[in-house]
Amino acid sequence: MNEIRFTLNRKETTYAGSAADRLLEVLRDSYDMKSVKCGCKEGECGACAVLIDGVLINSCCVAMGAVDGHEIMTVEGFRETEQFAALSKAFAELSAVQCGFCIPGMILAAQSVLSKNAHPTEDEVREGLSGNICRCTGYNAIVNAVLNAAKEGDGLW
Amino acid sequence: MVNGYKPATLREAVDIRSRESVIPYAGGTDLMVQNKANAVYLFLNDIDEIRQIADDSEYIRIGAAVTFTEALASDLVPQLMKEAVSKIAAPAIRNAGTFGGNIGNGSDKADSVLAGFAMDGRVRLVSAGGERVIPFDDFCVRRGVTNIKDDELIAEILLPKDKCAMPYYYHKVGGRNALAISRVALAGVYDVQDGVISYISLTVIGEGKFTRYRDVEAELIGKTVEEVQAHIDDYVRLFIDRMTFTRGRVSAEYRKTVIGNLIRDYLMTL
Amino acid sequence: MREICKSVKKKDHDPKIEGRSVYVADYNTTADGREILCGKLLHSTLAKAEVKAIRLPEMPEGYLYVDASDIPGDNNVNIVLDDTPVFCRGVVEYIGEPIGMIVGPDEKVVDRLLKETVVEYNELEPVLDIRKGTEFFFSYEFGHGDMEKAFAEADKVYEEEFETGYQDQAYLEPQGMMAEPEANGRMFVHGSLQCAYYVHGAVARALGVGPDGVHVLQDVTGGGFGGKEDFPSNIGCQVAVAAKKAGKPVRCVFGRREDLEFTPKRHPALCKYKVAVKDGRVTAVDADVLFNAGGYSTLSAVVLQRGIIAATGVYDIPNVHVTGKAVKTNTNPCGAYRGFGAPQTFFAMEMMMSHIAQDLGEDTIAFKERHFVKKGDTTSTNGKYHFPVPLPAMVDEIDALSEMKKKHREYAKPQTGRYRRGMGFSAIFHGAGFTGSGERDLIKATAKLRKYPDGTVEVLASNGDIGQGVRTTFPKIVAHELNIPLEKVYYSHPDTARVPDSGPTVASRSLMVVGELLRKAAIKLRDIWVEGEEQEVEEHYKEPDFMIPFYLDRFEGDAYPTYAWATNAVEVEVDTYTGMTKIVGAYGSFDVGTPVDYNIVVGQMEGGFLQGLGYASIEKMNYDGKGRIRNNSYTDYLIPTAMDVPNLKAVMHVEEYPDGPYGAKGAGELPLVGAAPAYIEAVEQALGGAAAHKLNFAPFNAEDVIAELSKEVQ
Repeated sequence: MNEIRFTLNRKETTYAGSAADRLLEVLRDSYDMKSVKCGCKEGECGACAVLIDGVLINSCCVAMGAVDGHEIMTVEGFRETEQFAALSKAFAELSAVQCGFCIPGMILAAQSVLSKNAHPTEDEVREGLSGNICRCTGYNAIVNAVLNAAKEGDGLW
Repeated sequence: MVNGYKPATLREAVDIRSRESVIPYAGGTDLMVQNKANAVYLFLNDIDEIRQIADDSEYIRIGAAVTFTEALASDLVPQLMKEAVSKIAAPAIRNAGTFGGNIGNGSDKADSVLAGFAMDGRVRLVSAGGERVIPFDDFCVRRGVTNIKDDELIAEILLPKDKCAMPYYYHKVGGRNALAISRVALAGVYDVQDGVISYISLTVIGEGKFTRYRDVEAELIGKTVEEVQAHIDDYVRLFIDRMTFTRGRVSAEYRKTVIGNLIRDYLMTL
Repeated sequence: MREICKSVKKKDHDPKIEGRSVYVADYNTTADGREILCGKLLHSTLAKAEVKAIRLPEMPEGYLYVDASDIPGDNNVNIVLDDTPVFCRGVVEYIGEPIGMIVGPDEKVVDRLLKETVVEYNELEPVLDIRKGTEFFFSYEFGHGDMEKAFAEADKVYEEEFETGYQDQAYLEPQGMMAEPEANGRMFVHGSLQCAYYVHGAVARALGVGPDGVHVLQDVTGGGFGGKEDFPSNIGCQVAVAAKKAGKPVRCVFGRREDLEFTPKRHPALCKYKVAVKDGRVTAVDADVLFNAGGYSTLSAVVLQRGIIAATGVYDIPNVHVTGKAVKTNTNPCGAYRGFGAPQTFFAMEMMMSHIAQDLGEDTIAFKERHFVKKGDTTSTNGKYHFPVPLPAMVDEIDALSEMKKKHREYAKPQTGRYRRGMGFSAIFHGAGFTGSGERDLIKATAKLRKYPDGTVEVLASNGDIGQGVRTTFPKIVAHELNIPLEKVYYSHPDTARVPDSGPTVASRSLMVVGELLRKAAIKLRDIWVEGEEQEVEEHYKEPDFMIPFYLDRFEGDAYPTYAWATNAVEVEVDTYTGMTKIVGAYGSFDVGTPVDYNIVVGQMEGGFLQGLGYASIEKMNYDGKGRIRNNSYTDYLIPTAMDVPNLKAVMHVEEYPDGPYGAKGAGELPLVGAAPAYIEAVEQALGGAAAHKLNFAPFNAEDVIAELSKEVQ
């Protein structure tokens, strides 16, 4: 490989560093995508989750070489969308954001759930968020917010 | 970029593998946790040939770079395999983790390997010089050690169709309801004709390695379900006495007791 | 419900959900554009040893090593006592003790240098078992009544020991602090923390400067739960010393493994209870409480005080004798975690009551109900419950949610199948605010409001938002009193250079104590309000008149002005083949007085309750024969996911407290405290009750279930 070309938040990008570099660190340090949080670096918390080709993946578990030719979306890009606005509103209405550290990953997990299934059941939402640890909320507010977003944002997904 | 190869075809990949010292990279979910310094990866994640799920007259064929999520969406993948991979970690890991990686890293807790073992799965390995298809039993040596050669890559997992069609038993015990590594798990497929066991397989997570006790399984074949269940303790013991359990996140005693209970449950539900 | 309870959009919602909030790890450079050096700690690898020598690798240019010899001031992190060193003083007291710090521009190089650093030790014999510990950091004793008589006249005497383990706060954002030397010579320290003024005091002392030589800012903080009460003072001092030596900004952010292994946790406890019963009533409780403090005393004094004051639970016990000891062991120092000593003793007392009831053949819920304290009763420290105790109504509330009483009776009958059910119940309180006279004598909180000419009002206080919502609720109180829109009032993250000391963000005190100061300040401001002018008002804490003065030397008086109350019911289904226990439902009624924002408070209740259920079940952490914590990753220290307790219900009961804002009491810690006894009583019932399996430790996980059931076979 000579260079790594990928799309970051809808923009064509070329990364000239090592293919073995961790996506999490590259996003934070080289592209200043600080919404991507480092909670464990072992794929066990979901705070660093991003969407790769619309699919939720922990960026701590991805080497840069693997993103060549793919589309990455972080909250910096996702926050420009109507779906984000619907999710944010629903989260705000239930005060589902406490310390906030899990939230960017959680929002992308929610998007990942709804993009596959616009009308999920509570169990499906819980399953979809199950790799995103939140220590503050007990999850009820977050799960209900996703369900409300699905209801009120009907048609967006 | 200096270190890293991203071949477009499997042919190209095995060529690189034969000349360079590279680490095959499929999903990254285990590799990146190990985070080896100065690793040179051979990225296999976009090679179409190993991203297919197909079938032929004999096998369901799952490409090494197929992710668990993709398998869950496939009509071809047998239910036992689906159930096993559906309980791996959480969506973000299942979206990246692959069948090739699961078996290739030699983990003794790999859920897809457990299911494959129970179904007499085989691994198709390719190299510049050719290919070979070997049973899971031969591929998995012990924890962290497989039978892959330095110039080989895993191309596919093959699941025999007759086993895929059989009823199965599966139970996983993790530490919690999601994001849980199997502490203990049991998988098996079986066939009962007119009350007589015509085929049975059984394999577990908890021994520190994957094994089939084919001679014990053979003892059950030909017996009636009634006979086995009437002497259930003896049949459970046939397996349990052969097994050795490892201590780790849980004690060996726990593993032994729970696997004993699960074997009993399995045989009682035939 | 009052108008103030109506939920509003949280002030920090947008920046957090949009990923714009800057946590300490998110700075690229300092505000004035300087490069930030990465600092990493050299942790001891032995539990007790003399450090003979440090052999450093060759340090590339721009990299340096910092240790105790670089401390300009005192090598003491001021917490309660002065025993915790900033950097090791020569003998390490636990695995993980910071010996030094390597600092430099590139994190990877710092990691390599750390790996290549060799520490030569002279290994000493560590103390690892609290039963064998002979050194007590703190030792307390109190009681009332006539113990001798009570035990002499008892129909029956029960003795039992209860053990509880570590619990890690497991906040999603690991610990991290940063120090920047300013041009004027002042040291600016900021990061993930709960108590800006604690860090301020500690850093000033380590640097040997006056209070004006330092200022401390709380960055956006990704969870605390007590874990960022004292420990940021340690890292704050370490980065400040390093920044002083380097002459450059230094940041130290912990990795998850480092955080799980080497930062404070809930104290493991061993509680020995002896209880006298006469005519079906508990007449005396003699409790001996041991907390495993670890290698340094840190917050153990105050954690232990709260723990032993709660040793008799929510029950009216005429004769009480309690001893408590914080035992020194050569293990990781324990500190603050939501509940602060009380979850350990409540677990012991609740299980004790349950076991006595079962032995007497009485329904455990009814037995507990018969012993509930009520308004006017005496507390364990001869203080008084000054306000109504709403427990009976709260029992009815969770019963309505869960059919607790009916199911509890039903599941008491013999069960034989693979899956067996149990229903557990607990009732607890949480003393609101600091224990004893701390608020009056030590904290002396001051809060201010500053009104600007444009009519906006800034809250000036030192309580950090750690997710609990004070950036929203403080302004909400002020806006309400001033009758101006909430948008006009704001509360930034506190910087000790600009805010008064309104005390630490601990003890469920922020809203109740500081919120009330702000309410009073707002009334003052309202009375003097002049359009277009800048105006400032200030309010100081005054102890409520009704309180019986508390004397710590003899544990006498009102330890708390009032109490938050909770009743919990937990229904479980145990798989006897695997030990896996499903929480069918977890129900809590919580009285924290008026919820000064319904959603925020319910969020606190649900989150805390789930943490408590984790403590009860899967959150097992322990150390090996060398004193090393084994569960040092999120793979090995399991906390609940969204799928573990889907059916968790919290309802609010409101018993207003006249001295809290609009009737609010302490909230944050309450929901964690009662989960463990309710869960474990439920598991015990599923296993056949105390006669078959008397459970007396927490957490109780699948492996413990199988170990318990294996006893039957043998």
